[in-house]
Amino acid sequence: MYPWRGEFTVGSPDSQIAIDTLSSRIDFPPKDVAIWGQHKTENLGIEKIVANVVSNPNIRYLILCGQEVRGHRSGQSIKSLHSNGIDGNGRIIGATGAVPYIENITAEAIARFREQVELVDMIGIAEISVIAEKVKELSARRKEPIGEPIIMEFAERKKASRMKSLSGKVSLHKDLLVDPYLEVRAMEADI
Amino acid sequence: MMNFSSEQSVTKIGDVKLGGQPGELPTVLFGTAFFGKKYQEPDAAALEEIRGFIRAQETLSRLTGNPSVVDIYIGNRDTMAARIDLVLGELPKNRPISLDVPESEVRQAVLKHVHEIGASGRVILNSFNLAAEEKELNCLREYPPGCAILLGYNPKDFSVDGRIDMIETGAGYLDNGLMTYAREFGIKNLLLDAGATPFDHSAAETLRAIPVMKNRWGLPVGCAIHNTVESWLWMKQYRKEHKAEYLTCDVGSNALPIMLGADFCVYGPIRNAGTVFPFVAMVDKFIAEGAEDYFGVSQSDDHPRRKLG
Repeated sequence: MYPWRGEFTVGSPDSQIAIDTLSSRIDFPPKDVAIWGQHKTENLGIEKIVANVVSNPNIRYLILCGQEVRGHRSGQSIKSLHSNGIDGNGRIIGATGAVPYIENITAEAIARFREQVELVDMIGIAEISVIAEKVKELSARRKEPIGEPIIMEFAERKKASRMKSLSGKVSLHKDLLVDPYLEVRAMEADI
Repeated sequence: MMNFSSEQSVTKIGDVKLGGQPGELPTVLFGTAFFGKKYQEPDAAALEEIRGFIRAQETLSRLTGNPSVVDIYIGNRDTMAARIDLVLGELPKNRPISLDVPESEVRQAVLKHVHEIGASGRVILNSFNLAAEEKELNCLREYPPGCAILLGYNPKDFSVDGRIDMIETGAGYLDNGLMTYAREFGIKNLLLDAGATPFDHSAAETLRAIPVMKNRWGLPVGCAIHNTVESWLWMKQYRKEHKAEYLTCDVGSNALPIMLGADFCVYGPIRNAGTVFPFVAMVDKFIAEGAEDYFGVSQSDDHPRRKLG
């Protein structure tokens, strides 16, 4: 159902609510929530959330709760992405975490994420009763699903250069040649 | 086990030496203090516990010969002075400290603070990376630390070449490469961090980058490969019931970069020193023996090869 692997639990396909519990481990009744889980990083972690949210147009709310992730400021970063988007370098505008860059998802997905979900800021709250109350309130405010699913493959990485053929020797990298006794020298020296 | 044809420099930061050819010097081990909920607002007992961890790391360092560095996690400016004071108070006068400060604004405050207390020369900034914007660059120019770890993490390209690009050119995130800036700022000692990435995000390229970076720059190279283990999805579940097995993987991961020529490992929580130091000393013995037998690289009496017969 959700295309990108991550540390999450899938609940009800009917629910319109996703919950990001940041650094806190909190569980919810599966019938009330579409997907929930922890979220540690301000870059790859956010990319996974965005990819999974836009794959399910039925999700219309994203609750941020639990304790903020120290250093990474993942909650503040995803809020900034939702409010401001990214700049030309992929940096989340206004994010104060360590390395708040988005590189593996498309501009279309980011735009759709920002439009698709209403973000509910409960950062710092980890009491399940308080969050459940909010889930109940949002469940009563159903919205129409938005458009078609956007399914993204994880971005194709630049592949390593083809290794040169050198009998009896091992290439560790295109610039490095390792002889059978593991002496390392620049490739050009032996070509 | 291997030897570089390019010259490998030895870097001396206070009383810690690192770099050179594989097997020449023992691996330097950075243990991180103050990371974790318990230490966010530590009570007297938690502070005493941290002092105990620092002393234990020192003892293990003396025992094995693997130099140690305390890596101080600083999440906000309110805690920086107390944390730095505590660690400096526990260490010999010429021992460097590593500062792990994820937020740019806090990093700037910390750089200024260590300058004001006259400790800049002992500081290893962990790390100088793509997130440094104009204010931070100016701050580094004004208050350069004695040493900086240049982080190869490049979210656009996790390949070896992408990691090198971050250090060499700034990979489009910065106007110049981290190396160029660091030299311009007059940072005397530079270490290179290959920038550990999770599994399925070119984790192995972290390891491949180590000999490539050493070959290219001849500077000490390392990484915090335990982070790859920490972010392993399957292990996140498994470790709940299998703490010892998790620790085995976490500590054992340090063998991989060392086998590929790494000079330092940022091994994670300092509380694991008791397991990490003997393990790394063993790996160093293998590397050193191979280096001497085949390449004639000899070691001093302080190397685990000699100390731990």
